[in-house]
Amino acid sequence: MAHPSQLGFQDAASPVMEELLHFHDHALMIVFLISTLVLYIIIAMVSTKLTNKYILDSQEIEIVWTVLPAVILILIALPSLRILYLMDEINDPHLTIKAMGHQWYWSYEYTDYENLGFDSYMIPTQDLNPGQFRLLETDHRMVIPMESPIRVLVSAEDVLHSWAVPSLGVKMDAVPGRLNQTAFIASRPGVFYGQCSEICGANHSFMPIVVESVPLEHFENWSSLMLKDA
Amino acid sequence: MIKTMYQHAKKHPGLIPQFFFVFLGISGASVYLLRLARGPHVSWDSRNNPEPWNKLGPTYQYKLVAVTTDYKRLKKEGPDF
Repeated sequence: MAHPSQLGFQDAASPVMEELLHFHDHALMIVFLISTLVLYIIIAMVSTKLTNKYILDSQEIEIVWTVLPAVILILIALPSLRILYLMDEINDPHLTIKAMGHQWYWSYEYTDYENLGFDSYMIPTQDLNPGQFRLLETDHRMVIPMESPIRVLVSAEDVLHSWAVPSLGVKMDAVPGRLNQTAFIASRPGVFYGQCSEICGANHSFMPIVVESVPLEHFENWSSLMLKDA
Repeated sequence: MIKTMYQHAKKHPGLIPQFFFVFLGISGASVYLLRLARGPHVSWDSRNNPEPWNKLGPTYQYKLVAVTTDYKRLKKEGPDF
């Protein structure tokens, strides 16, 4: 989850998010280099004692400042396209979960083998236990087996919502009447938080998403328990 | 126009990379536009062939570059329209 005064991304919990993180580091480094160079040039131009500063024509520098930005852009484009193709690969998921957005909660349906469905409401601040996170915890978490490709079908029952979990690198709009698909692999066990990412009314900020990734046996135990309770 | 470009480039060699990249950009954009126009992405004949993208089989390669997907082995998932 996010922590106070955080500047960068949350720690990656899926391979795609790791790639996105590294690509962001790469692009940001290029941006820093360019900004430092420009700042240096500005300071050098402004603080020199030379009198003849305004040279109007030079072929070499024209070649350099045409070719160098083109090369930099290619260096940004190639990793970007690589990740684009990586995110879109056909991945043969082990489990399909439907995440339906309502005003103002999410409901999850695991219908591959049995019919398991439950709602996931935010825990109000006054009911939190010590150590729980304000505006982020829910009563039922979406539990998934770790290291398995999961497909999530996202839709909405009333207005637009958006199912987002930043540490898994996933965001997919929930459009009523439309089924959107996203997929991910949780590479480690853990609890990953996200929040609804499309304005949907009064409690838009109060319908979080919690994904809990556990080993497969624990997932099977959890789903049998949930089926019994329902 | 080409002759003028050539004469300018001889006098100012700094123009050469600029011409090159502009040419690359224009040709890349037109090649891609032609690829889209010739493929099943555009509806040219609204009476006889209104939605050509609905007639593709599951083995159609819709991406520009096939990195790891083996398109020949894909099967159709889901029901027909």
